[in-house]
Amino acid sequence: MKPLVLYFTANYPSREILSEFIARLDTSVVKYVELGMPTDNPLYDGPTIKGTHGTSLADFRDSDLKIYSDLLREHDIRTYLLVYYHELRKRGPGFLHYLRDIGISGLIIPDLFIDYFDSGTEVIKSFPEGLEFIPFFNPATPDSVIRTVAEMTSSWVYYGLQPSTGINVPFDLREVSKRILEMVPGREVNFGFGIRTVDQVREIMELGSNGVAIGTMLIPMLKGNRIDDFVEFQEKVREMMKVVG
Amino acid sequence: MHEYMLSLQEREIIPDNWYNIVPDLPQPLPPPVDKDNEHSSIELLNRILPREILKQEFTFQRYTKIPEEVQELYAQIGRPTPLFRASGLERFLDYRGKIFIKYEGATITGSHKINTAIPQAIYARNEGVKGVVTETGAGQWGTATAVASSFSGIKAKIFMVKVSFQQKPLRKQIMELYGAEIVPSPSTETKFGRSVIEKRHDHPGTLGIAISEAVEYALEHDMRYMLGSVFNSVLTHQSVIGLETEKQLEILGEEPDVLIGCVGGGSNFGGFTFPLIKKFPEAEVLASTAEEVPKFTHGDYKYDFVDSAQTLPSVKMYSLGSDFVPEKIYAGGLRYHGAAPSVSMLVKTGKITPSDVSEETVIDALRIFARTQGIVAAPESGHALATAIEYVVSHRNDRKNIVVNVSGHGLLDMSIFDR
Ligand SMILES: Cc1ncc(COP(=O)(O)O)c(C=O)c1O
Repeated sequence: MKPLVLYFTANYPSREILSEFIARLDTSVVKYVELGMPTDNPLYDGPTIKGTHGTSLADFRDSDLKIYSDLLREHDIRTYLLVYYHELRKRGPGFLHYLRDIGISGLIIPDLFIDYFDSGTEVIKSFPEGLEFIPFFNPATPDSVIRTVAEMTSSWVYYGLQPSTGINVPFDLREVSKRILEMVPGREVNFGFGIRTVDQVREIMELGSNGVAIGTMLIPMLKGNRIDDFVEFQEKVREMMKVVG
Repeated sequence: MHEYMLSLQEREIIPDNWYNIVPDLPQPLPPPVDKDNEHSSIELLNRILPREILKQEFTFQRYTKIPEEVQELYAQIGRPTPLFRASGLERFLDYRGKIFIKYEGATITGSHKINTAIPQAIYARNEGVKGVVTETGAGQWGTATAVASSFSGIKAKIFMVKVSFQQKPLRKQIMELYGAEIVPSPSTETKFGRSVIEKRHDHPGTLGIAISEAVEYALEHDMRYMLGSVFNSVLTHQSVIGLETEKQLEILGEEPDVLIGCVGGGSNFGGFTFPLIKKFPEAEVLASTAEEVPKFTHGDYKYDFVDSAQTLPSVKMYSLGSDFVPEKIYAGGLRYHGAAPSVSMLVKTGKITPSDVSEETVIDALRIFARTQGIVAAPESGHALATAIEYVVSHRNDRKNIVVNVSGHGLLDMSIFDR
């Protein structure tokens, strides 16, 4: 099983460096890439990822997304876009078709059910054939919302272990993961937010998860252009998966 | 069983688990956010809160086991608190429905605050710190903190809003009796306190300022900070009020039609109403606030800071602004500028109906309650009583079951009757 969903903010730290990192993805452990669309107000991201948005926003163009989805397609890795709803709304309805046409497989919209609750289900319905709405839940998502959104979708589910990325709040992994695994039986669930070590990746995989999203942990490697560390990290996960199976 | 006074001091009425409403809210609770991209105030909570509290704050389990030690202390401090039928008040109002009172004034410190002080002090002690720090307005929270710390064998340092400190010498004495150290806020003991005094030397203080001082002090002295209200984990601990009420009503064979409580930061209100909202979703729910601090009716539902110094994260809530300085009103516990995010959301969605009451109405209600039931309720709780009386007067023919949480007694706040 491929365990990793890797998060990158588009264009961070630059088109060139990010492209080089993507070229070195280990396809035996990476299943999806989650690409963050730069925004001036990444409200629900932690401080580290927030910082990347500022850097990338300056020369970001929507068409840059195609660079990455093309590269990833060569590796046979699906690209999902993490986009705040205020950015989607600015661009209008045609944008969803555009994203699908440039090869984006689906969208994760972290603020949709928090800040635009009343529009939530309409937005899901507006998705064109071929573009998936990825349910994004966390421990603060009420059961009723999980049920409604799960029923309207059939894709994998993104479950944040904490309410924001990059903060280190203690939690009981077993308890937190149990809830969602029980609520969406049979669905692929990938966990994210606050995962910092290969050991945690192992722990989550052992609890019956289908995958783990890693973001904050990669930022220093990107920032310092430490591609060897990135390669080594993937190797460690590969070794670890041999044991977990 | 005689219907009038149901004291039911039975251990089985104390619940085994606290209840957290977040998974049962109609919409996702907006997470706390940072002031800017440079500071993580959530990371800061990591340094001042016991880890067990952080976990409860951010993982939103519907039920959390109440530790054995906490359950025992709950029994020691007078839990379960009584639920009784307020027949005297009913007769006075000539009401043909029923009024029930859940009386948190019966705890040893005289209010609901002890319900969360106990677990927080125990979690802090378990981490081996030498003490806890907190703020207090009216003095109820400080008193609860003082007792809970004393039970746990750790020190308590309490920043008390200066006007309360001046108006309530008895409160200070009680807290000191329990072994706590009391400092009027704004004080010169913290950087933030000094900055406030510099701008206005006779500043009366606010809860927001006192919170900021306590947080700064905890950070500087490696102590744990105790959360008095507003935070989700506090409302979770306070759910013991509603869970007991649920069992007590069941024993009486009654179901509530109307639930009423007062809102400062929202902890007694949320703790009382949330378990009952889950069990009785049709019940009407009324939140009583002071006319001088009309957060729900004149505040905005927005991200705002929990404290004036903007040290703690901002949360989405109804707020009059974190720099709001209320008049020196009689009910210190209701002077807070905001209200718990979960309570705020349910006001926003219409589940909870807010009601502002005036000082005059509250004092009348307290007099009526004292004369008909013999209980001197806290000025904060007087708001809930005033709202209940208004409800009865405007629904005279409805024959409803009205359940009111009286969050504390007012025996140390008698000066409000001199005015
Ligand atoms: C007796 C009493 N009731 C109510 C309150 C208001 O706080 P909360 O809304 O958190 O219950 C206070 C706060 O000091 C209080 O002392």
